[in-house]
Amino acid sequence: MTTSDPTAQTLEQLGVKTLEAVGEKFAELRQRFDDQSSLHFSNRENWQVFLVKWTGRKSGVLSQITNNWLKMASPELKPVVGQELNKLKAHVESIIAERQRAIEAASEQSAAARDKIDLSLPGIERSFGTRHLIRQTFEELQQIFIAIGFSVVQGPEIETPYYNFEALNIPEHHPARDNMDTFYIEGVRNSHLLRTHTSPMQIRTMEKEKPPVRIVVPGKVYRRDNPDATHGYMFHQIEGLAVDTDITFCDFKGTVEYFAREFLGPKTKTRLRPSYFPFTEPSAEVDATCHVCGGKGCRVCKFSGWIELFGAGMVNPAVYGFVKYDPERLSGFAFGMGVDRLAMMKYGVTEVPLLFQNDLRFLRQFP
Amino acid sequence: MKVLYNVLTEFVDIKAAPADLASRLSLAGVAIDSVEDSAAGPVLDAEVTANRPDCLGHYGIAREVAAVYRMQLKPVQPKLKEVADNAADATRVEIESPDVCRRFTARILRGVKVQPSPDWLRERLEAMGQKSINNVVDVTNYVMFELGQPLHAYDFDKLNERRIAVRRARPGEKLCTLDGAERTLTRDMCVIADATRAIGIGGVMGGTDTEISFSSHNILLEAAWFDPIYVRRTAKALGLRTEASYRFERGADPEMAELASRRAAELIQQVAGGELLSGVVDVYPSREPEKKIQLARKEILRVMGADIPDRGVEEILSALGFHPTRVDANRGSDGSLAAVWECKQVSWRRDVTRGIDLIEEVARHYGYDKFPPRLPPAKKPAHRLPHAEAQDRLVERAIALGYHEIVEIPIADTQRDALFREEGIQPAVIGNPLAEDASIMRSSGIVSMVRAIEWNLNHGNRDLRLFEFGKRYELRDGAPVESAVLTLGATGLAREKTIYETAREFGFAELKGALDQIGELAGGLEWQAGGPPWLSAARSAHFSAKNKGEQLGVAGQLSRRLAEQLKLRQEVYLAELKLEPLYTCIEATRAALRFVPWPRYPAVERDFSLVLADGVTFAQVEQTIRALAIAEIQSIEAADLFRGGQIPAGKYSLMIRVKFQSSQGTLTDSQLAEFSSRTVTALEQKLDATLRAS
Repeated sequence: MTTSDPTAQTLEQLGVKTLEAVGEKFAELRQRFDDQSSLHFSNRENWQVFLVKWTGRKSGVLSQITNNWLKMASPELKPVVGQELNKLKAHVESIIAERQRAIEAASEQSAAARDKIDLSLPGIERSFGTRHLIRQTFEELQQIFIAIGFSVVQGPEIETPYYNFEALNIPEHHPARDNMDTFYIEGVRNSHLLRTHTSPMQIRTMEKEKPPVRIVVPGKVYRRDNPDATHGYMFHQIEGLAVDTDITFCDFKGTVEYFAREFLGPKTKTRLRPSYFPFTEPSAEVDATCHVCGGKGCRVCKFSGWIELFGAGMVNPAVYGFVKYDPERLSGFAFGMGVDRLAMMKYGVTEVPLLFQNDLRFLRQFP
Repeated sequence: MKVLYNVLTEFVDIKAAPADLASRLSLAGVAIDSVEDSAAGPVLDAEVTANRPDCLGHYGIAREVAAVYRMQLKPVQPKLKEVADNAADATRVEIESPDVCRRFTARILRGVKVQPSPDWLRERLEAMGQKSINNVVDVTNYVMFELGQPLHAYDFDKLNERRIAVRRARPGEKLCTLDGAERTLTRDMCVIADATRAIGIGGVMGGTDTEISFSSHNILLEAAWFDPIYVRRTAKALGLRTEASYRFERGADPEMAELASRRAAELIQQVAGGELLSGVVDVYPSREPEKKIQLARKEILRVMGADIPDRGVEEILSALGFHPTRVDANRGSDGSLAAVWECKQVSWRRDVTRGIDLIEEVARHYGYDKFPPRLPPAKKPAHRLPHAEAQDRLVERAIALGYHEIVEIPIADTQRDALFREEGIQPAVIGNPLAEDASIMRSSGIVSMVRAIEWNLNHGNRDLRLFEFGKRYELRDGAPVESAVLTLGATGLAREKTIYETAREFGFAELKGALDQIGELAGGLEWQAGGPPWLSAARSAHFSAKNKGEQLGVAGQLSRRLAEQLKLRQEVYLAELKLEPLYTCIEATRAALRFVPWPRYPAVERDFSLVLADGVTFAQVEQTIRALAIAEIQSIEAADLFRGGQIPAGKYSLMIRVKFQSSQGTLTDSQLAEFSSRTVTALEQKLDATLRAS
């Protein structure tokens, strides 16, 4: 603080003796404050220095005046100095507050622009995996049947001809074997084959368990067909079997209808077309109203309104003979669904190979 | 089979339009795939199931139509003009193999004029999908499609001694069949022969030597019955499937043979003229006695769950030719619960021999739609697969770790499979593969995982994390064994570059971390160095369940040699876990889970920056500190690791972070100082570690 700074000196030292002179001194200060506040307002650092210079507790202008001018003033000038000081203080404070508000408003504005999130940018995503469509479909199918009391069981894919054919009432040289060209395994003691359907588990289960039996069997099956867009030499099936003393064709129908509504939607209707499988009788193909057009006819259902779901029927009593069940007392139904076909139909997958290429672009489409 | 609407109308008075007929037939069990127009009128494409050889002829389909519309089926009554000479005097037929040929009929026509068929015959045959040859052959084919009975016409003049023997082929006997191929026959095959040589393969195809040509005048017309299994075997052995073998192997109607012969004779006379010798040579050594089948209403109720009225039962069975008659004590009482019908077993339906077979016949024509649906109440609780819960947990983890599930066909290339096969495993080889690259049941999940990675890399998907729940297959002591495996595969970026984060390549640490996070479910993994030869020696490991010792699997980087061989141009990481032991560990761990309260007093972390010689492992550091048995140590973690800079060659810097916590009270500075100094001293003494000023 230089000695030229008037506020470092007392009024007496400044030679102020009259009331007028006091007023002039305060007017000068006020003018100085006004000039500087305008000058330093735009620069943040200077503004801070300016604030300290005027309002600092120890050596700010206002404190200096209080200490040097007011406290040291002669008794006759003291009241006037006090009044002038208060007026100056009020002026300084109001100007500073006003400027301060302006500064804050400005900085808030720029901060808001800076901090504002760009909602169109992606968030941070952790990469998640997916379940394969076939496995999702298996889960769904199993849940549908578990809910009505079917337990899930599994069996071997490398089977014996007995379980795959004979015990299912398909003796050697039966024409039904035409549709089930079979892969054989080399060099196995009792000849083995790759099962052509999940039906062998019907036999294995009934051999082990007493009725009531109610199972579904998910799994892989194999047929020696040259692969194309709609057939592979491996596909997935889910087999169902219910046997008890009181299972009838009506129960079979009810179960099939329940399934179709659960899987394809509550408005789905079903119909049974008589068919033939050696291990069921009566046998049926189960059709459902097309899930795409609802039965009006479209490209998916080839304009028939119906889509083929799977083959099924009442268990042929001949089968009970192989598992020592009493055919006069017991009855039941069985079905075998092509899971790949059901999944393709439901999700519009056009070609079988897509299911097993395991291309990431395919896998990602079914999270 | 192609079914001509206009032929059906000859047997039953159909009023329905073809489209209506098609849908009614489909719902009664004869699936009609399409209805198309032809020169011979509307053609229905029938998909006939293997049990219905009767529907491989129009007459059988007409019988179904009659049942659908509850109408009468007209009998087939050919009108013949026979001359006085007897067929029996002109030829002789002997069946030497009655096990295979149960009936053989021969008719003789003289002076026929072989020429192209008239338009109506040609058009009908073509609509049935059969090429026209000449009028005589065309008639035999036409009658086969009409009545379901295969027939054959021989040039009678070319038969040595003008006689027929049905016998086993002689070993090495040769015959040139109508398709122009010379066939070498075996003892298992049955031939139609003249006095000296085979002139046809029974039930399959005739020979060229005696075939009907435009110069033929006298013909012998064969209508016979051959055993289905024999025909099937023979056709298969010769690789020769014909319209005849197709019918015989499904079971032709032995009673139809003679009628079809009459019908063919009638038509040949009509289109080719000539004289028909009187009578037929019909060798039918063992005609089956007529059998009866009973159908009880209580069985209908027991199996079908709803009733079918008497009239329905009787009309349907009558229309189908079963001649039902009530035989129960309550006869005459309509709708009696005790009703029993006795039916004739019919020769054209070899599949209908039991009550249940009749139930199906009645039910399908009555209408499956008439049975009310009902959901059967469950009597037992349902269960998921034994390890379903454990598998759920594993799948959740794998997916959360960013792995995509794949489903593979577990048939592999034999050579490729061998690359990843565990030592001592005998693979399950397919005896009749479709292709060399699909000729073995895979002996590991890895071979499929590598295939999937290969596919993706070849199709522009570079960053992969995949898993598969599947099986591996092998033979043990000659018996097949299938064991469940979980396979993981990864390559490319573990993390892509984003505006927030940098990119990171997938490395061994990623795989190990994923497996440890999966292994946490099983109580943690214990790692050991070294793995199978298909993994890189420096980056391979095997692991077991902590505190159990049972080996769970292997993990590592695909060896450079194999990567090059398979043309995989980026690092590929693989792991395979045996699921049975893993499931067991997961289930045990889960069962042992109990809440552990955390200490009430604060934990304190201390970092130690160590300089260690290369080769000293983190595990050694951890063990050294653990050996101090300071109960307050909660965890020891590797917090930072680097080489180079101020660290001299042959050494590396490892910062470890030790967490101290007591359940007794807040740790004091002097306690912590003591722990730290003991720790440092131990590391200095045991591992020659030095402490870096940090």
